[in-house]
Amino acid sequence: MKILAANLKHLYQRRILWLFYVYLGLIILIIFSSVAAEIENPDAGRRHFIWLLMHEFLIGCIAAALQIEVLNKPLSYCLPGHRKTIRKFIFWVGIVISFVGSLLFFAYPGLLSWETILILCSAFCANLIFYWFGVGFVFVNKNAAIAIALFFWWAIFVPMLLDLHIMIESIFVQYFAIIVFIGGLSSIAAWFWLGNEGLARRYCAVPWISLFDLWNRDKLLRYSQSKAVTKWNKLKTHPNPQVEGFFLARMQIYGHFGIGRYIWGSLYTTFGIAISQGKGNLLGLFILLLMAIFFSYMGPMAAIIFYFLPAFMVGQIRLPVYSSMLISGGRKERFLTAMTLVATIAVLITALVTTIAALSVPLATTMPDITLHGKTFTFHAMSLQPFFVPLLMIPIVFTIQLFFFKKPYFVTVTIILLFMLLFTGGSLLKALSTVINPIYLIVSLLILSWSIFVMVLRYICMKRCLVGQGHAY
Amino acid sequence: MSSEDPIVQMYKVCKRFGKIKALDKVDIQIYRGRIIGLLGSNGAGKSTLLRHIIGLYLPDEGHCTTFGCEAGKLGPRELSKIGYVHQEGELLDWMTVEQLIRYVSAYYPMWNFELEEKYIADFEISTSVRVGTLSPGQRQRLAILLAIGFEPALLILDEPASALDPIARAQFLELLLQIIQDENRAIIISSHILSDVEKVIDHAVIMKEGRILVDCGFDQLRERFSRVRISSLSGVLPSALPFENVLKCQRSNGEAILTIQDFSEEQIEQAAQNLDCQIEVQPLSLEDIYKIVAG
Repeated sequence: MKILAANLKHLYQRRILWLFYVYLGLIILIIFSSVAAEIENPDAGRRHFIWLLMHEFLIGCIAAALQIEVLNKPLSYCLPGHRKTIRKFIFWVGIVISFVGSLLFFAYPGLLSWETILILCSAFCANLIFYWFGVGFVFVNKNAAIAIALFFWWAIFVPMLLDLHIMIESIFVQYFAIIVFIGGLSSIAAWFWLGNEGLARRYCAVPWISLFDLWNRDKLLRYSQSKAVTKWNKLKTHPNPQVEGFFLARMQIYGHFGIGRYIWGSLYTTFGIAISQGKGNLLGLFILLLMAIFFSYMGPMAAIIFYFLPAFMVGQIRLPVYSSMLISGGRKERFLTAMTLVATIAVLITALVTTIAALSVPLATTMPDITLHGKTFTFHAMSLQPFFVPLLMIPIVFTIQLFFFKKPYFVTVTIILLFMLLFTGGSLLKALSTVINPIYLIVSLLILSWSIFVMVLRYICMKRCLVGQGHAY
Repeated sequence: MSSEDPIVQMYKVCKRFGKIKALDKVDIQIYRGRIIGLLGSNGAGKSTLLRHIIGLYLPDEGHCTTFGCEAGKLGPRELSKIGYVHQEGELLDWMTVEQLIRYVSAYYPMWNFELEEKYIADFEISTSVRVGTLSPGQRQRLAILLAIGFEPALLILDEPASALDPIARAQFLELLLQIIQDENRAIIISSHILSDVEKVIDHAVIMKEGRILVDCGFDQLRERFSRVRISSLSGVLPSALPFENVLKCQRSNGEAILTIQDFSEEQIEQAAQNLDCQIEVQPLSLEDIYKIVAG
């Protein structure tokens, strides 16, 4: 088998990619159906063309991530021909995908036949530019999660809100010669850059987290340990001795075998480092405020996202359930401390989010309107009614974490999917609230989510293995 | 629970992970005053067995009691008598060494601060650095300190010395011998460095594919196997040598080296007289015994 063929096999051997193909298939279906529905209208269909183009960025990220994995293995550095195949693989994928993506422009409205050919070339080159951007991004950034975050921000929020996609689209339709020139130039640059001998040397056996490693807990752990020296050396002031003193004093109030000691101990190990970071906390609060302002400008519906986000973020907090560092707490202590910890987190987050949302009420009278590209954004005070959302979501998030503990990023993806589901199910809840008293409905949902969490937690703490077989926990 | 009773009792314990049978009807009893060497290849079930003892794993079948309590229901009273050094080396990386020691010691009423100071000095542990910055060897030293600081009645060491340098390993073995001076304690040590283990253990448990192949005193185990060098005084050795249970035989020019099992020294001497040979009997190292038993 040729090296390139073996390399291309990655495209179907990686099972996680199948999920991406399904997603891409759905996107293509949506785009084509949208274009087909509006094809009669010479102006209305335009905004849909850009979506496929934007996914080129993500495809570039994936192609690069697959090849970094190959480069990362010392074996591929030594075997003849492997280093050169990286470039071939990336170009093959880029050219094929860009060509397929550009075919959609056959349906672009209001073009003469000769114009269509030029626009097809322009679209092909524009696809390639976005593709190279994705490839370059993953090659340069060690943390691939940033690529995903950037993609979602780039492809969904920013263009939708600011109509940037229409602007970008009109650029490569109107200035196709420039786009073809940039596309060609970037491809030549990519050809030389990917063929550079130093590239293979730079990535060979270097600790690296690619897009696909986000599912691999062991690799994440090894990566974080290899980076620990740099990371922890930066934290000169942590943990704060006063914070340590506070928690140890609380622990010592209780007897050595009292549950209070374990609860305070777990609060210390969970919040100790966070509380110690004075500047970090202020920065976090500032970011949360900025997000609150952003969502307030996006309208009342978008403001609900603000209530969801903290629940999403706390999903990364690790519960004191699965741990091989033995202290004298047994299974019962693990259960009670984890339950108390989640309740504390839920109350704190709810209080914080509600307070920030309440601040938007007085701000609504003073914040000015913002006009961008002829679109005016007005600051809306956030409703305090969804204050129960964190209380409802946090136990659900931790239930998912308990089930999928070995795959932290699977937890993240599941939570995102769940949020999307809940968001779309919002209308169902609205409909239900006309039949059932909303307060009863909310209380019932809260009882349900907390009951499920407690049952799952109890089951895992009392009946399951608390460390994994052959894995570093 | 009297001091004569075993600290750990496992009865027909089975554990499966998917298709893999990690433990297969394991019976074992751990008594005070012993240093037990738990030996076996990777995947033999050593860590699984140790994790059952402290209740991190629950058996699919059979039962396991530690300090008279079902292992899955061990509470702070029982767990405060168990020290555990695990092979994963999980510690709280964001704390300084000193902070981690203070945090862990807060859970143990019997924490020995003098022992802590002595150990820190002997093992040259720097207390002001962050745990996350420690080298693997230093991490392992810290993990050992956290496990012995409260002078546990049962000390479980799962690959404790793999990252230690030779000098630290020698110090560590000496420390184990000091700990076992108190006859109310027991130590279980699982390690692949058999040359180290054989210096301290007085009981050996050899595992393979989830089953216990050998569970006996170390001296008893050594007596079972011997290496015999037979040199003919007349220059020629008979083709058939009068030994049973010969595990290995190497012959050359009137000399033979045999590895034999269950053959007493008297029997060997008797055979030497009959053969008109000079016989030299050597005990086998633990590594050789392990290869024979588990190979």
